[in-house]
Amino acid sequence: MRQIHLTVNNEKYQVYCPEHITLLTLLREHLHLTGTKEGCAAGECGACTVIFNGKAANACMVLAPEANGAVVETIEGEAKDGVLSPLQQSFIEHHALQCGFCTPGMIMSARALLDANPAPTRDEIKEAMEGNLCRCTGYEPIITAIEQAAGGERGA
Amino acid sequence: MYQFLSPKTIGEAKEHLAEKSNLKVLAGGTDLIIGLRDGAVHCDYIMDIKHIPELCEIGMTDDGLEVGAGVSLNAMLASGLCTGRYAALADSGHELANSLLRNRATLAGNICHASPGGDMLAPVLVLDAWVETLTPNGGRKIPLKDFFTGVKRHVLAADEMVVKTVFPRGDGTSAYHKKKRIRGHDLAQVGVAGSYAADGTLKLAFGAAGPTPVLIELGVFDPLALRAAREEILDKAMSGISPISDVRASKEHRLAMARYLAGDVLDALLEKVGV
Ligand SMILES: Cc1cc2nc3c(=O)[nH]c(=O)nc-3n(C[C@H](O)[C@H](O)[C@H](O)COP(=O)(O)OP(=O)(O)OC[C@H]3O[C@@H](n4cnc5c(N)ncnc54)[C@H](O)[C@@H]3O)c2cc1C
Ligand code: FES
Ligand code: FES
Repeated sequence: MRQIHLTVNNEKYQVYCPEHITLLTLLREHLHLTGTKEGCAAGECGACTVIFNGKAANACMVLAPEANGAVVETIEGEAKDGVLSPLQQSFIEHHALQCGFCTPGMIMSARALLDANPAPTRDEIKEAMEGNLCRCTGYEPIITAIEQAAGGERGA
Repeated sequence: MYQFLSPKTIGEAKEHLAEKSNLKVLAGGTDLIIGLRDGAVHCDYIMDIKHIPELCEIGMTDDGLEVGAGVSLNAMLASGLCTGRYAALADSGHELANSLLRNRATLAGNICHASPGGDMLAPVLVLDAWVETLTPNGGRKIPLKDFFTGVKRHVLAADEMVVKTVFPRGDGTSAYHKKKRIRGHDLAQVGVAGSYAADGTLKLAFGAAGPTPVLIELGVFDPLALRAAREEILDKAMSGISPISDVRASKEHRLAMARYLAGDVLDALLEKVGV
């Protein structure tokens, strides 16, 4: 067992957990932040995407002790005071989700992209999203939603 | 179950290597965590090397391009250093997995995993790279052409880790082309790297075409001679590989694709030098 201090969505946490679990299990089962999803637990699907020290990462590919001292952002931090972010709103407007299982991961990959690059090209969006799989939408609405949200966030 | 170690200095890492047996180094974890999850890897210690500042550096030195063992592939790609002679690193870096995993995955991790299909392995061979290691008694320099000994096997000792990968300076160009089953992320069916130095030295290397990546040194050609000798060069390169059939491709498909990709790489190198 190991003590881990980390910041998630601007809140500080102190957790006592086994050393061999992943950040995904830490978030879901120890912090009860179940917005982050487990699809494959093998780095293949991106459903578990969070922002880890400023970069999008598969939470299933990070060991919990690696998160000691880390700053993590999850889907629970995206809406502010119950108001959806422009990115979330854009996903709804452009039908960028159906079952919604991939959506928390999609939003976090897109959030990391827009934080680093507020005006991405369509190709840059595709590259940033290539680790996030969706079995429902066919991807085009997701790319469009991110493109439009980027314009909206910049006030374009 | 393992104990997690997170050294902050090279000295601390060296102590752990000396004192702890059955230790595994953790870089990006994108191979190691899968191994732990599947029960294929058992160890008593995991040593995360990403908090050692020297290992997280990338830059040009007198020796050449140096990439620390803790540098993520995306940081390497964003450094702007993978151009000219080192262009194959940008090609292969972009081909490895996907951008999410590349925020974590490292060059040294790909090398030390030593999977025959590792996308960075053919490029490191054609660029004459070496790794510098740390051991309880110091460390050594290992040319990567002498590094791989079999499927997921290499010459590192149990108490030895890679500190950095070094690509010697030089003018010229290089490229890497990969064939995979789908447009999304997938391991290579075949990968081919080529380097063409300013003095005309031509090298090709093949990934996923044998138990280890294969380097073929082809000699010195001026660009027009290279174009004229294209088919002979491909014949010679192909005589050096012996791929197998597996879930990703049959032996026959691999052989056909290896020749096709090698030809493509030669054409790309010639185009880069303006011929
Ligand atoms: C979904 C998915 C897709 C993938 N696609 C590809 C692909 O297309 N192409 C490809 O080549 N690979 C692919 N991989 C494999 C993997 O991402 C790469 O091999 C990656 O470069 C490994 O680097 P890492 O830093 O994550 O290594 P780690 O997992 O940290 O380490 C890998 C191995 O090397 C050892 N090691 C790491 N660093 C050192 C060191 N400095 N000294 C000594 N030993 C060390 C570790 O102990 C471990 O045994 C994929 C993996 C996943 C999960
Ligand atoms: S659950 Fe992490 S990538 Fe699928
Ligand atoms: S909306 Fe169902 S998986 Fe993407």
